[in-house]
Amino acid sequence: MIKAYILIRARIGKLDNILKETKKLKNVESIAVVAGDYDIIVKARVNDLEQLMKITDEIQSIDGIKQTTTQVIEKEISL
Amino acid sequence: MISIHLRRKHLFYTLAILSSLIAAIVAGIDSFITYKMGIVYSVPKVPWLYGLSAFLVGVLITFVLCLIFSIPINGKSLGSRIIDPSFNRIRLVHKKELKYHVLAALGNSITTIGYFYVLSVFVDPSAILPFYQVVILYLLIVESVAEKNAPTLIETQSAVIVTFGAMLGSISLNGNINLEALAVMFLIVNPGWVLLSIYQRKLKLLKINKKPNDSLNIRFWNLVFTLIFTAMFVEIFDQIHGTFYLRESLNATINFFWWIMLSMGITFFSYIFYIRALGIGKASITQAVKASTIIFSIPVSLLLSNFIPVPIPVTPVLWLIKTIGITLVILGIISFALTEVKAFILIRASPGFKISYLLNEIWKIRGVDSVSVVSGKYDFVAKVRTRTLLKGYERIIRRLDKISGIKEFKWNSILKEWENI
Repeated sequence: MIKAYILIRARIGKLDNILKETKKLKNVESIAVVAGDYDIIVKARVNDLEQLMKITDEIQSIDGIKQTTTQVIEKEISL
Repeated sequence: MISIHLRRKHLFYTLAILSSLIAAIVAGIDSFITYKMGIVYSVPKVPWLYGLSAFLVGVLITFVLCLIFSIPINGKSLGSRIIDPSFNRIRLVHKKELKYHVLAALGNSITTIGYFYVLSVFVDPSAILPFYQVVILYLLIVESVAEKNAPTLIETQSAVIVTFGAMLGSISLNGNINLEALAVMFLIVNPGWVLLSIYQRKLKLLKINKKPNDSLNIRFWNLVFTLIFTAMFVEIFDQIHGTFYLRESLNATINFFWWIMLSMGITFFSYIFYIRALGIGKASITQAVKASTIIFSIPVSLLLSNFIPVPIPVTPVLWLIKTIGITLVILGIISFALTEVKAFILIRASPGFKISYLLNEIWKIRGVDSVSVVSGKYDFVAKVRTRTLLKGYERIIRRLDKISGIKEFKWNSILKEWENI
């Protein structure tokens, strides 16, 4: 099991469309609209790197995406 | 099926409020059953007999419901499609769950015994039972000591508002305050419920075979362990006082089987939603939202008053007190719901510092819900939760600033969030 954060920068006026399309994707654990350096942070959970590549590919092909940065999780501590 | 992208907050409040609504209906059915039992058995006996019978029948009906919800449909169980996406099938207790189940059941049993005691010794406990709502404050205190989740001023204010609101809303003003009964409520009933809530939450947060624990198995095994503890406690009580409550409860189970089954069958759903809510929110907040039971109990009581004698407010002053109480509960719940700031902090480390050291330092900060070591542009992604941005600055940013080894960090406030639950 591989988890990753995909940090997204969106083009102005395209946020709603990106959210709509991202919600349709498989292996998405959470989606957050954020204010800061990025516009959307997606947390994905996949079985292998092949699937991770597929999901980043799918996100990049959504209309309105300006840039994505993928951060693969090596270790996680949570409540 | 509720595994689509929902806002986590919405799911939490939906589950907790649904649980309260069902609990109010169950309370109505319970009043009806205890009234009927009071005709057959002497009134002080009824709470003991009903309590034990409820656990006995509860185990049976919960087992049957769990079996039904275990039926697979297109590769997924019926239960996972309808009431809890984490549920696969009924199973034995996992080794790592055992300790928590024992403690949760002990809490359930203690709170039930205390409740029996108050009901049987003080036949009109209406002036005492409202103090049960103080359990919200107990939970806040326990959480601030045991978890990293220290309550903020707003959380404390909201909990106090809900607690006093719930007390006003459920008081009937026709009983006398009894210090012994109050002591039982404060020292036995409320701590027992705290034990039950805290350990049921811990059970829900456990991962069993790398998957989130499910509420159906938690509920079933809680009832099994609670039945064992309660039967033991009642047997001890019987031996000391020369009563035969244990044996008589078997007789009561046979006489009122279908009514108790109806009550426990509906209670099952109330607990499933409650346990699921516990897995999402803090125990104190879940309890505060669950205090909305008193709102739903009004129409139930009015309906029930057509069939059996139910204490309902008869004067405008009592109605006014109830209305004030309910208004306070609603206000408290809304202020819980609307005052939370969440953010992702993207962190870069300086070369030469151990990642494990920095991970622990970040994790120690109050308000950090999760922290991940990541590879890519950043080294850590921390998810934080705070009641206000000011608290976020004071508790989180200033602490991060002090950690040597952190080169830079970027705060990204979460404006809206969906999770696949």
